[in-house]
Amino acid sequence: MIPRNLAVTFALLCSLTLGMSLYLWELHRRDATSGPRNVVPQHVTTPTSGPTEKVTVIVARDDTGELHPQSISIPALDNRQQRAEEILRQLLNIYQQKGSQHPLTASAEIRDVYLTDPNTAVIDMNSALPDGQTSGILAEELTLVSVIQTLSLNVPNLAKVKLLVDGKERETLAGHIDLSGVYDVGEVSQLAQQMSAP
Amino acid sequence: MRWNRPARLLGCLLAVFILTVCLRTPAAPQITTAPSSPATTSVAPESQTPVPPPTAPTPVILIDAAHGGTESGAVLGPDNLEKDVTLAFARRLRQDLISRGLQAQLVRDSDTLLSADQRASIANQSRPSLYICVHATSEGSGIRIYSAMLPSDTDNRGPFVGWETAQASSLLRSRSLQQQLTASIQKTRFPIRSLTAPVRPLNNIVVPALAIEIAPATGQVSQLATADYQQMISAILANAIAGIRNKLESRQ
Repeated sequence: MIPRNLAVTFALLCSLTLGMSLYLWELHRRDATSGPRNVVPQHVTTPTSGPTEKVTVIVARDDTGELHPQSISIPALDNRQQRAEEILRQLLNIYQQKGSQHPLTASAEIRDVYLTDPNTAVIDMNSALPDGQTSGILAEELTLVSVIQTLSLNVPNLAKVKLLVDGKERETLAGHIDLSGVYDVGEVSQLAQQMSAP
Repeated sequence: MRWNRPARLLGCLLAVFILTVCLRTPAAPQITTAPSSPATTSVAPESQTPVPPPTAPTPVILIDAAHGGTESGAVLGPDNLEKDVTLAFARRLRQDLISRGLQAQLVRDSDTLLSADQRASIANQSRPSLYICVHATSEGSGIRIYSAMLPSDTDNRGPFVGWETAQASSLLRSRSLQQQLTASIQKTRFPIRSLTAPVRPLNNIVVPALAIEIAPATGQVSQLATADYQQMISAILANAIAGIRNKLESRQ
């Protein structure tokens, strides 16, 4: 004969388990109906109307292996970080256009640019950018110098730049150019001069 | 707490053992050390045997075919991987250098995977007169020669050399050799370009180190895999290297 107190406890536990199962099932159902959660957050689109400003970007050409300055218009943004992101996204846009002389895949994206102290920028790109990049020392170097030099031209007093891929460190861009270190903007500027069209 | 006598004795023995082990342990091979000074004098033997006239030792060129194994590098065509082109070219270059009276060795002579650190360690241990890393690309034309691009703030202190900036002590020599090779190849009217590049393992190597990237001359990528084209570039490079033979320091 089971003692009465044990029987009551057992019954209570059973009802508690049943209740929790029903609650979990309800949570699961709610989660399933509320749509996918792992959607990549979309970046805030910059206004297409309103005041604009002219900026200079450094554009690479694979056929000559050289860099050229190019003037483009971007929406005027007060936030330094948003402005830096917008400039690099416009640069990528040039490479993604049909007939580009330094083609990058359409899914290549600058995820974020962080401007940190002292005078350091961290550029976070998605993995589609290096994965779609032509592999080779010069081809990769053109991308690297184009991105860093464009940023340094438009962000005053920038001294160092670090590149990340999907928020993580990556050994090389596409098998050749080293991404493990922090780039000195002065060194990259000298390299940009070597690679500039006469 | 008081130690009893056997424990004290055991402690002393242990300390002596640890000291002996520490003193006998050789330096770890991965640590880059500053190149030993060429001015180091060797003590002449006491015996009065006639000393042969000094002959200039033959410079050693260490050729490193980039990529290998599962790391295939650039895809240069349907059946044309960068790792295969670099290995075939490195073998030709070795032969061409030997035929011009230089010593040449390969870092890899098969389809093996080596990390950048392993390549640098091999180069730093063998101490060649010049380390050349060979790459191949479909973009552009001709030959490109690269020297290392180092961060401005090197962390080299005294005899200890930072791994990431190990090339700092040889960078001037690397760039001087790069200029001389470029000038020599320019005379052949073959397309040549000279740049700096952040390409590993150049920055980890203590001896003069360069990377070369070969590209097709006609814009047709398949040309890179042909024996004739590789032979032509190999001969141009070997002639240029042989031409600066007197500028290359022999193995130390």
